[in-house]
Amino acid sequence: MSFVDNDYHMVRGIQVNTIALVGNPNSGKTTLFNALTGSNQHVGNWPGVTVEKKEGKIKFNGKTYNIVDLPGIYSLGAFSEDEIVARDFILKNNPDIVINVVDATNIERNLYLTTQLLEMGAKIVIALNMIDEAEERNINLNIDALSEKLGAPVVPTIASKKKGIDELIKKSIELMEKDIEHKPHISYGESIDKEIEKVKDFLSNKNLEYPPQWIAIKLLEGDEYIYEFINNHEDLSSSEEFNKMVEQFKKNAEKYELEIIDKRYEFVNSITNEGVKRPDVMEETMTDKIDKILTHKYLGLPIFALIMLIVFQLTFAIGEDLLGGLVEEGIEILGGFIESFLISINSPDWIISFVAEGLIGGVGAVLEFIPLIVVLYMLMGILEDTGYMARAAYVMDNIMRALGLQGKTFISMIVGFGCNVPGIMATRTLDNKKDRMIATLINPFMSCGAKLPIYLVFIAAFFPDKGGLVLFFIYLLGIFIALLMAKIFSNTLFKGEPSYFIMELPPYRLPTLRNVLRNMWDNVSGFLKRAGTTIFAVVTILWVLAMLPIGVEPYGESSILGRIGSFIAPVFKPAGFGTWQAAVGLFAGIAAKEAVVATLGMVYAGVGEGTELIAAMQRVFTPLTAVSFMVMTLLYTPCAATIATIKKETNSSKWALFTVLYTFIIGWIAAVLVYQIGRLLGFS
Amino acid sequence: MLKEVLKEIYNSNYISKSNIARNLNIPEELVEEAFTQLARMGYIREDNGINDCNISCSKCPYANHCNKISVNSVTITEKGEKLLNM
Repeated sequence: MSFVDNDYHMVRGIQVNTIALVGNPNSGKTTLFNALTGSNQHVGNWPGVTVEKKEGKIKFNGKTYNIVDLPGIYSLGAFSEDEIVARDFILKNNPDIVINVVDATNIERNLYLTTQLLEMGAKIVIALNMIDEAEERNINLNIDALSEKLGAPVVPTIASKKKGIDELIKKSIELMEKDIEHKPHISYGESIDKEIEKVKDFLSNKNLEYPPQWIAIKLLEGDEYIYEFINNHEDLSSSEEFNKMVEQFKKNAEKYELEIIDKRYEFVNSITNEGVKRPDVMEETMTDKIDKILTHKYLGLPIFALIMLIVFQLTFAIGEDLLGGLVEEGIEILGGFIESFLISINSPDWIISFVAEGLIGGVGAVLEFIPLIVVLYMLMGILEDTGYMARAAYVMDNIMRALGLQGKTFISMIVGFGCNVPGIMATRTLDNKKDRMIATLINPFMSCGAKLPIYLVFIAAFFPDKGGLVLFFIYLLGIFIALLMAKIFSNTLFKGEPSYFIMELPPYRLPTLRNVLRNMWDNVSGFLKRAGTTIFAVVTILWVLAMLPIGVEPYGESSILGRIGSFIAPVFKPAGFGTWQAAVGLFAGIAAKEAVVATLGMVYAGVGEGTELIAAMQRVFTPLTAVSFMVMTLLYTPCAATIATIKKETNSSKWALFTVLYTFIIGWIAAVLVYQIGRLLGFS
Repeated sequence: MLKEVLKEIYNSNYISKSNIARNLNIPEELVEEAFTQLARMGYIREDNGINDCNISCSKCPYANHCNKISVNSVTITEKGEKLLNM
């Protein structure tokens, strides 16, 4: 199989020299190609593949040269069409010169490809590109030393500013016209060097389209593409001696590949040791120093807890004390205006009721907490952008492991703090089904963003001075129950050894305003979108149910909604909130968690107990029943979207149903315990 | 070098590429490259949590609610463990 079939040395029947450009993606190769060819280029596809082919021509000292821009690649293996196209072109079309574009800021990585080009025996010139950026970063490059060690001319360039281009072409043409005298020798170790020599000896009298040395290296590396080439080559495939040799290589391919790659890196390191000097990175970085404290074996967890407590406290200090009431007032003014307008145009009573009590009472109740949500997500965004959240995952991972659990589960749990649906989808990265099942089943205990307005209503009504602390303990309880259930599941339903993994901790950085604001907006806009769609739909349905049958008192116990609530309410009596309103609130929460507050807002706005939801809550709940209700909403049956995701991810209705039931039971038991123990302790 | 990097990964509580670079006295860029090679050769498996959910954010109805904390992690595969024991 070959993707290269053109004769690149002929232009309109005239023999021309060909220069190929090869380099890593983002090395500035295409910029250099554009700088060289200007508008004198055309774009097509390599035959048989979708890889883009760019060709152009340049004139230098009156002579025309064909320039071929090969795909951006990291190595010359056979792992992608790009790599095969590039290596086939170099080996089969024998360009007169290969210009290897090397990113001067990332030279260590780019020189791996250079090493492979040298193995091919290609005539190369190095364009050491983005040299200005390397200087800005204080990377000191010794061009002569690099050139000497690589055995190839090295030309500093800044393709984006067209600097060094003439020198690059001049050096390329000079090299084109002479034989290379000095070529670096890469040793792959005694045993591999011997094997290479053996293959070379065997292939030396065969007329092959690839260089024998390169075939030998590729065979030792276990390159499937070269095995196929051998199989299709009559002379080689029919030789028993050669086949024996190849079989031997195949058996040891893994070992040989590792050794060969290692030696290439050794070669790269030996070059950069002499030719590259970076600012001293061998000292302990600030990140390492901070991590010694923040990820400390014993201090890490208390510090994480303290940081989260500060975040929640600040959320209330800024969101409630400074900004609180802004949206509430706005909604009240807007609601009043719309209601007056509807009355002034003699709208039917049911429309006025729907807008005032359904929309403004319901959806408005959810929107009132926007300032708190804005502040919370802004603070979380700052933590994320600094790189601290990865440390939090690491600290929690240690606890998971200490409990004998799959530590990686915590990553999906952290994602679940945003929304349980992506949290459950994140469990796909876990290695085995048992780990995935545990992570999926416990994810609903992670308090998602949609549950926030529920806590905020109750905190505003009963614990306005301890908002941060209450929110902190709610989240902590969710994590505790999730860990407890994970432990129970791993000891009962899903036994097995936890797999081992190591987390990467990125360097700390200063948060950028743009990232923080974007994170905040993502969350708040999602919240608003759901208020305008899902919550609106739920409120509309509930409003209809609260109005029917015609003739009963709207929002009364005799309405369909009241009857549904009254039917469910006795279940919650032991937990202290056995009212039909609380029952329908929880029931609506299965559609979407924000609907709990929307429903409470609507049903309490309609019973004549005052339009203020918080005031209504203070009349119906007590501090103890408020805590018990919050615990229930934290732990009980997840929303419909989460249930559907569990069904999809486990491919089983049984597990979805199991989650619906077991989370409800856990939530109910916890709420009942809170209420009953609280009462025994004298709380009301 | 690859085996040394793998050993460093195995012996660390968490991965800090700058730590590995310092311990092996090689540039951090080469450590990056070693990670890529080790993953390509199947000695380690890298994943970055939610970004592996196979759904592009633009097509996901929950994108706005998704907590896109990038927590990269590395698992040493059976093949990698074999290499460490060699």
